[in-house]
Amino acid sequence: MTQDPNARAEVEPTAVGANAAEAGERRLGDDVSDAYGSHEVNVGDLDFHIVAEHGHTASELDPDAPAVLTVDNLKMYFPVKSSGVVRRTIGHVQAVDGISFEVPKGGSLGLVGESGCGKSTTGRLITRLYKPTGGSMMFDGKDLAKLSNREMKPLRRDVQMIFQDPYTSLNPRHTVGTIVGAPLEVHNVVPKDKVLPRVQELLEIVGLNPEHYNRYPNEFSGGQRQRIGIARALTLNPKVLVADEPVSALDVSIQAQVINLLQDIQSEFDVAFLFIAHDLAIVRHFCPEIAVMYLGKIVEIGDRETIYSHPHHPYTQALLSAVPDVKQAAVGGRRERIRLEGDVPSPINPPSGCRFRTRCQFAQEICAKVEPPLLQIGKRHKVACHFAGELGAHPATPVTTELLGVDDQGSPVPGATPSNTQLTIPGYEKTWYDLRTKQTTGV
Amino acid sequence: MSAETAGPETLGSLSDEPQQDPNSQQAKEISGKSPLRIALGRLARDKIAVVCAVVVLFFVICAMFAGTISDLFGVSLETPLASERVDGLNNGLPKPEMGPPVGPFTWEHPMGVAPRTGEDNLAYWLHGCRVSLLIAFTATLIASVVGVVIGLLAGFLGGAVDKVLSFFIDMFLTIPFLLAALTLAPILNERFNTSPDYPTIQKFSLVMVLAMFGWMGTARLIRGEVLALREREFVQAARVMGMPTSRILFKELLPNLAAPIIISVSLMLPAFVALEAGLAYLGIGVTDGVSWGQTILKAATPTYFREYPQYLWQPLLGIVALVLSLNLLGDAVRDALDPKTRR
Ligand SMILES: Nc1ncnc2c1ncn2[C@@H]1O[C@H](COP(=O)(O)OP(=O)(O)O)[C@@H](O)[C@H]1O
Ligand code: SF4
Ligand SMILES: [Mg+2]
Repeated sequence: MTQDPNARAEVEPTAVGANAAEAGERRLGDDVSDAYGSHEVNVGDLDFHIVAEHGHTASELDPDAPAVLTVDNLKMYFPVKSSGVVRRTIGHVQAVDGISFEVPKGGSLGLVGESGCGKSTTGRLITRLYKPTGGSMMFDGKDLAKLSNREMKPLRRDVQMIFQDPYTSLNPRHTVGTIVGAPLEVHNVVPKDKVLPRVQELLEIVGLNPEHYNRYPNEFSGGQRQRIGIARALTLNPKVLVADEPVSALDVSIQAQVINLLQDIQSEFDVAFLFIAHDLAIVRHFCPEIAVMYLGKIVEIGDRETIYSHPHHPYTQALLSAVPDVKQAAVGGRRERIRLEGDVPSPINPPSGCRFRTRCQFAQEICAKVEPPLLQIGKRHKVACHFAGELGAHPATPVTTELLGVDDQGSPVPGATPSNTQLTIPGYEKTWYDLRTKQTTGV
Repeated sequence: MSAETAGPETLGSLSDEPQQDPNSQQAKEISGKSPLRIALGRLARDKIAVVCAVVVLFFVICAMFAGTISDLFGVSLETPLASERVDGLNNGLPKPEMGPPVGPFTWEHPMGVAPRTGEDNLAYWLHGCRVSLLIAFTATLIASVVGVVIGLLAGFLGGAVDKVLSFFIDMFLTIPFLLAALTLAPILNERFNTSPDYPTIQKFSLVMVLAMFGWMGTARLIRGEVLALREREFVQAARVMGMPTSRILFKELLPNLAAPIIISVSLMLPAFVALEAGLAYLGIGVTDGVSWGQTILKAATPTYFREYPQYLWQPLLGIVALVLSLNLLGDAVRDALDPKTRR
C-alpha cells in the first residue's frame, strides 16, 4: 500500500487509458473503491491492468501441487427437441465435448473462450447443476459425475460457485444475512445463534460493512453485490470455487478490486479456482494456468507464460491479438489484430475434423478429415492443431501425421500404426512430443 | 487511508433515499427496507388507493360485526309477523310507521323493511355483506393456494409434471363457468336439500365452485413467473449449496411471487363478490339464506322498482361500491408493485 493516489497523473496518458476514458468505461473521481475497511487502496481513475498490478503480484504456479479436481473426457450433450405435440429428440447441442484438465490444489485454472463455447456448461457440470452425459470428474476420491443428488449433497460444501451476474445471483427478497447464512442452515453446520457472527465475519472478509447484514441486495452497488456472492460461496469453506465470469458484469475500475479480493481469498483460504472468462486479459493476473476453449473442446492449455508469449494454436493467437497490451501501448506499438472471419458454427452440427477450421486461415484438407489430438508439446503445454506453431511460424506440413498414422492430406496410410499414446490424460506427462524433432522428449 | 476513501460506492446507493452516512441514526432506521415495503410506501401516497382502502375497510367491518351493528340499531333478521309491518292491500309495501317510501324516516328501521315479508333491510344488508365477503374471501384463498402450488410445481419442475398440470389448467379454462354452475346447482340441490345443514352446504359448494373455476388464472401467472425466476442465478446458487427443492420453492421462489399473488388476489376478490351476487340472483347461489343477490332478485319487479326503488338500490349500491373500490385498490396495488410505473 505504498501507492500515492496523486501518482495517477503519471500513468494517465497511455493510449489504453485514454480510450477507456472516452468510452466512459471508467468512473472518474476518488470514489471508485467499493470496499469497506482497509482492504483496498484508493486507486483513483486507473485502468484495469494498472489496478490489477497494484500491490497484488500475479499468482504463481506451483508445478508440484497435487490436483484437487481432475476432469477427464467430460461431455455434456443437451437434447434438441422438435416442436409439436410429440417432441422427438432431433439432435444434440454438443456444449461440452470431451474436455480434460486438472485444477491444482490451491491453484487456479483459467478457462477462456468466446461466448457459447461451453465454459458455463463446464462450470455447471463441476457444480453438478447438470449431470454430465459422459466422462468423469474426480474430487476427493469420488467421481462427481456418477453421484446421485443425495450423495452429492455433502460434497456441495466443498465445491461452490461464484456467479456472473450480481443482479440476479442474489435473491432480492432476502437480506444479506439470510443470503450469506443460508449455506450454514442448509447443511446444519452451526447452531442458529452462531450464524450471525459467521455472516459478519464473512462480510468483513469480503470488504463489506458487517453491520449491513440486515439490508437487502437492492441497496448495494454491483461490485458490492458481487462481494456478497463471494461471501456466500465462502461460507462453507469450499475447496474448489468455480467463478463463472465473476467480473464481466462490473465496471472496469471495480473489476480489478474484485479480482484482487479473489486473489486474497485464494492465498488466505487455499481455495482452488476454476476461473471462467471470455477474454485473456482478465485471467492474466489471476491464473498461472490457462485453458482455451472453442466450441466445446479445449484447443490449447498451458502455463501463463506459454499461452501469452508462445501460443501455438491459431485461435489462441487470434484471441490474444485482441487483448490490449499496456506495455506495448505505452511505447506506441500494438499487436497486429487478427480478425476471425465468420460466426461460431452451431454446436448442434459442429464442423468435421478440427472444429476451428471454418474460421482458421491455416486450414487445409487434413483439418477437415482428422480431428487434431490435444498433444503435449512442452513441459506444461498442450495444443490441438495439425499445424501448431508460433505466430508467423506455422509449419507447412502437418505435425501430427506420424502420431495419427495419416498422410499430409489426412488419409490413413496403410500399415502405419498410430503411435499416439498420451492424448487424453487430464494432467501433464513427464515426456512430450517435440514439434521440431518430431520425437518424444523429456526433461 | 481507508476511512476517507469511503465514498458513495461504499455505502450502497439506497434506491429511494439520498446518500447518507450508514452509521447515522437515520440510516439505521431506513436500513432493511424490502422491495415490498417500498411498494407499500408508494401505495400510501396514492390518494385513490387510500380512499378505496377505507371503503373496503368499512365493508369488512360491516361484515365482521354484522350482528353487533344490528343489535346496536335494534334490528334483527327475525320478523315477528309480516302483517304487523306490511300493508297487504298496498302491494305488500311497508306500513307508514315502518319509514319510507310510505312514511317518514324512523330509527326503528333505518333502511326500511322489505315489502311483503317485512324483513328489516339494514339487518339483511349487513348480513348480506357478511355472506358476500365471506364467500369471496374463502374462494379467493382456496383458489390462490391451489393456483400458487400448481403454478410453482408446473413452472419449477417442468417436463412431464408441467405438461400434465398445464393440461388441467387448459381443461378447466375451456369449461364455461356459468354452464357448470347451472348444471351443478340442481344436482347439489337434489342431493342435499333435505339436509338440516343445507344453507351451510350451499355456501360451501358455492365457494368450491368459485374456487374450482378461479385458480387457473393464478396458476398461469405464477407458472410464467416461475419459468423466468427459475433461470435466475440465485436459484442456481441455492442448488449449488444443496438446498432441497421444497425449500427452494417456498423460501427462495415464493417471496418473489408476492407481486403476482397480490395481483391475482386483487383480480379475484371483486370478481367473486360480483359472481356471488349474480349467482344468487340467478337462483343458483345462496338461495336459502341472506344474500345481496337474493334481495336484488326480490326487488327487481316493476311494481317495487316504481313504488319502492330504495329496496333495489341498497344492495346494488353495496355491490357496486365494494366491487369498484376493490378493483381500484387492486389497480393501485398493481401499479405500486410494478417498478416501471413508479411515480
Ligand atoms: N440448458 C441448455 N439447453 C440447451 N442448450 C444449452 C443449455 N445451456 C447451454 N446450451 C448451449 O450450449 C452452448 C454452450 O453454452 P455456455 O456453456 O453457456 O457457453 P459460454 O458460457 O461459454 O458462453 C451454447 O450453444 C448454448 O446455446
Ligand atoms: S487444425 Fe487446421 S483448422 Fe484447426 S486450428 Fe489447426 S490449422 Fe486451423
Ligand atoms: Mg457463460
